[in-house]
Formats: sequence, structure tokens, C-alpha cells
Amino acid sequence: MADSGTLDAKIEALTDDDLARGLDLFRSKLGAAGAVWLQTCVHCGLCAESCHYFLTDHEPQSIPAHKLEQVAAAFRGRYTLAGRLAPALTGARPFDRQLVRAWVDAAFGRCSTCGRCSLNCTTGVNVPAVMRAARATLTEMGLIPADLQQVVTTALETGNNMGITREDWLDTVQWIEEETQGAVGDPAARIPVDRQGAQYLFTVNPREPKFFPLGLQASATVFHAAGADWTVASEGWDLTNYGLFSGNNAEGGAIARNLLGSMERLGCRTLVIGECGHGFAAARWESAEWLRQRPGFRIMSFLELMDDWFRQGRLKADPSRITDRVTLHDPCNTVRQGGISEPQRDILRRCVTDFVEMTPNRAENFCCGGGGGQLAMAQYRDKRLQAGGVKAEQIRATGARIVVAPCHNCIDQLMELNREYKLGVVIKTVAEIVADALVLPTATPPAEGNHDVAS
Amino acid sequence: MGEAGQRLGVAICAALAAVALLLQLVRARSFGTRPPVAEPQGSALRGILYAFGPGMAPTAKESTRAHPVVYALGVGYHLGIFTAFGVLLWAVRGVAAGAMPTSPLRPAFVALTAIGTIGGLSLLVRRVRTPLLRAISIPDDYAANLLTTAFIALAGLRLLTADVERALLVGAMLLLLYMPLGKIRHCLFFFAARWNLGRHYGRRGTFPLRH
Repeated sequence: MADSGTLDAKIEALTDDDLARGLDLFRSKLGAAGAVWLQTCVHCGLCAESCHYFLTDHEPQSIPAHKLEQVAAAFRGRYTLAGRLAPALTGARPFDRQLVRAWVDAAFGRCSTCGRCSLNCTTGVNVPAVMRAARATLTEMGLIPADLQQVVTTALETGNNMGITREDWLDTVQWIEEETQGAVGDPAARIPVDRQGAQYLFTVNPREPKFFPLGLQASATVFHAAGADWTVASEGWDLTNYGLFSGNNAEGGAIARNLLGSMERLGCRTLVIGECGHGFAAARWESAEWLRQRPGFRIMSFLELMDDWFRQGRLKADPSRITDRVTLHDPCNTVRQGGISEPQRDILRRCVTDFVEMTPNRAENFCCGGGGGQLAMAQYRDKRLQAGGVKAEQIRATGARIVVAPCHNCIDQLMELNREYKLGVVIKTVAEIVADALVLPTATPPAEGNHDVAS
Repeated sequence: MGEAGQRLGVAICAALAAVALLLQLVRARSFGTRPPVAEPQGSALRGILYAFGPGMAPTAKESTRAHPVVYALGVGYHLGIFTAFGVLLWAVRGVAAGAMPTSPLRPAFVALTAIGTIGGLSLLVRRVRTPLLRAISIPDDYAANLLTTAFIALAGLRLLTADVERALLVGAMLLLLYMPLGKIRHCLFFFAARWNLGRHYGRRGTFPLRH
């Protein structure tokens, strides 16, 4: 709550000039599409039940239309003639401290920018796009929750969002390489580092080396089994990008440049984004917009790559090894915002015997509550766990013993939900499921180039 | 003002509304357009077609699947609006008095305006009676509904009697003048909003939705 107090103090200290400048900033962040979306909501209220915040707190402030209205009110007051002439009729409001507080609450406190409301909007308003513009404005005004900004700053200063040193990263890679060799029974199994010209550069969420090294081992096992020509980078290996959540495109672009730069440095052909929803959305979709440049190489999700390998017969699984009921969580940034919904399903159908869908699923999935940087903002913890209640009930309804989540932010949230709602489930990445079900080759497979030539 | 003058007034108000709405759209564009750079995964065109086609079906969205009555009221309301504008067009052209009572389409038009009026009033009552809807409503929501519903009702009555001709024309002028000021601007912005949404999700391969 200390951060909340700090934010309040900052809002109280805002001058009239600060507020006027803030709205100018907002104009620069919104863009034409945002300006259209902001003026199209008809307040029908049908979006309410699409939002996991509203479904769990039943507060009008959590209705997406209400959140949008806080932003639209300031927009009308400044940028529409009707808003200036008849503010009472049009709901236009001055961008004052009270409204700034409402923006902070709406954009940071009650929205994970999951986009579910947009799909359910009767007029077609892209709410998260507007919320991100509001976040961007607040961030530039210094009104971003400090812990969220700290994640961005750490990534900018150290090259990864957890401040892991190069030595620690390389030690972890070496340790996991040894573990992988033991697990696959092949001393030739490698996690190559900085291999020039490799086909695939695999990037990682820092949570893996820091807290979930078995996730990295699972990925390494899959690469080994596929006989892939791959590498990790000694620098620029962190796939996360909290610039997506802060709204600061310049900082998001700088973090993206660090990641994309490792591709150029190593001359790899395909950038593979590990299982991380926002990392995928940031690298695959947003980085090109932030940098105004399309990368000269393919960016793909590890989910797509594993699915491709199964289809090509380079990976084989024995589903009888996983007989517990398995369900799949769809990370918003991978599925709704990222467009990747089927590869993970195809993989799971090959690897487990009892796969059940949550209801709803795919692009209609509910956010787990951990997206949008919510996990980083301590002041909203209680709200986040409450909002996650929808996901908890979805999971419970499946009767699944294993929940697969191809996203580390989701996994962190799901682990908390598991405790909070006593779900009694095990949470795994897709790669962990694949590694558990893999039928490993009996000998070291040929390097990828040879494999391609041979085939 | 005579009926001819009122008809001219409606035409002028319609022109003003159209210009004001278009100017607002131009102003929105002045906030900056940047063509997307990222390599598309899906098709923007398919996304747009989905947004304006199957994506508007009542089964396409959970929000409308869960609220079929509200969806139906909304559809009825808008059918009434389109019909009322058809009636207005007739009236402005000055052929209404003679042609409408004998048109074979008249019963259908009367029914559509009745459905539209009921739809509008029902949605207004819903807004007034539902605390959560009241909480997200602004005065414009009520004003826009009242003006529009009254216009539909007057158009329906005009199909039954020429006595309401003047009232219809005055109602139409008020509605047209109000159109760019509040939420009714969605009559134009709706298309731009869905276009942008369809393009966004189409490029990413999310639209068309898989269920």
C-alpha cells in the first residue's frame, strides 16, 4: 500500500500545467483508431460480464464501459465541441486530480488489458488499446505504480527483468545442460550458447533460470529430441517486455532492441519466443510497431515450433505416460492478442490421454488475472486474486489434475490461485508436458542442417 | 414555417449532421494513423469481413448469447430507425401523403416502426431500472434514446395519419441536429470502429474466431 500512498501524493502534487500536459500526452498516445474507439461506446453494458473483474466484484467501476468512460470523459472535455459546450449532457469532465485517480484505478487497478471485452463489444471498441494509451499517459506523468516501472527499469539496466547477471545465467545454463544430459541419457545433449548462425535462437523468461529451471530443462530436452540447430544467447536472452504494460513505447522499443539485437549479433534465422504470453505479443506484434521496422527474420512461438516438429515427425510422444486429466489455460497475449490457439491443443492431444477444454476457451478465454502487469503491482494483489476467481472456477469445473499454461505470468498467478482457491492441481508448461511424454531418440540425432538435407 | 420549409429544414439538418460527423471522423484521423509494420499472421481483410459479418451474429459473442432479449431489442430498435428514415425520406420528397397509405409495404413498415418503438422504450426502461446500467450512463444516453424513439414512433404514426407530418419533420430535425453531439455519432463511428477492430484481430489471425 506504500506505493498507493506514493501515487496519491504524486496526484495531489499535480499542477494545472501537469494536467494540461497530461492530456496533450494522451492525444499523442491515442492515435486515430483510439480516438474512434473512444467515441463509439454506446454504454449498452453488455461488456460487463465479459470482464473477470466485474464478475468477481460486481462493482460498476469494473464494467469495461465504465473504465472506458473515465478516459472518454476527459477526451470529450478537451477534444470535442459538444463536450466543451455541454459537458453535463455529454459527460465531459475536466482532467483533474479526481479524474486522474479514476484513470489510475481503471487502467492499472481494474484492467489486465486482456481484451475479452473487445470481443464482446457490440460496437467494436478495442478497450485495451485505449487503456494502454491511458497507461502510457500516466506513466509519462510519473503515475505508474513504482513496482511495475521497476521491472521495466531493471530490464533496461541489466538486460533482463530480474537483474540476473551474465555469470549466473551462464552457470544456470551449464547446470541445466548437465541435468538434461542425465535426463535424456545422452552426454552429447547440449544447450549451445552464442552459436553463430544457428537456425533457432531460443529466448527465455527470467523466471525460468531464477525459479523454474526445470522449465528450461524441458525446453532443452525438446530441442535435443528434435535434433534442432539452436542456441541461447549470453546477452539479450530475456523475452519479457514490461513496456507492453507500462505503455512506454520508447522503453518497450529499447527492451525489444536488446532481444532483436542478439539475433543480429548471432546471425540466427528464427527467433523463438519461449512460453510467455506478453513476451510473445511484445516481440511478435508490438516491437515492430515500437521500432517502426519489420525484423528481417521470423519470430515464432515455441508452441508453433513444437507443433511443427510433431507434424514433421521429428518429435514423438507416448500419451499413455500422462493419464491424469489435463486442461489448458489460454494466455490472453498468446491467444486473443497473439493469434496462437491451435498448436498448443494439437501438441497436448498427442501427449496426454485425457485432455479437456475449459469453458470458454481459445480467444474467448478468461484472463487468469495475472496479465497486464498485475503480478508486478503489489497494491492490487487482493483485487488480482479476487479477479482470478473466474479462472479458478473454470479450472475446477474441468476436474483436471494438471493445468497447462504456456505463459510464466499466468503460471505465477495460477499457482497463487491454486493455493487461494484450494484447487489441488499441478501447473505445467506445454514444454514440460512434451518432455514428460517424449519418446526420445535412441542415439543423438543429426544436427538440423543434416536432418534437413537427409529429408 | 410551412411544410415545404420544414422539408427543406430537414434536408439542411441532414446535411449539417453529415458534415459534422464526417468532420469528427477527420478529426479523429488527425490523432495520427500509422500503417502496421509487423508481419501479418492472418488477413486484415478477412478480419474486417468477419467483424461486419459473422462477428455481428448473436451467436458470435458471449455478451449477445447471454442476453438474447437485449440483443433482439437492439436489433428491433435499429430496424425501426432504418424504417423511420425511409419514411422520413418519403415525407421529405413530398410524396408521402399520397403514396404511403396505398403502399403494399405499409403494414410491414408500421410493424417495423412499432417494433422499433417498443425496442427503444424497452432499452430506455432497462437503462433506468438497472442500477449498474445507470452507473455507466450519462445524460446523453437518455437524451439520445428519447429523441430516437420519438422519431421512430412519429414515423410509424405518419404511416397511419398525415396529421403528424409536421411533428415528424420537427422531430427529425431535432434528431439530426443532435446526432453529432452525442452517442448517436456511432451511426458513423461504428463502421470505423469495427473496421479497425477487424483489421487488428484479422492481421493477428484471431478473427475469424474459432469456437
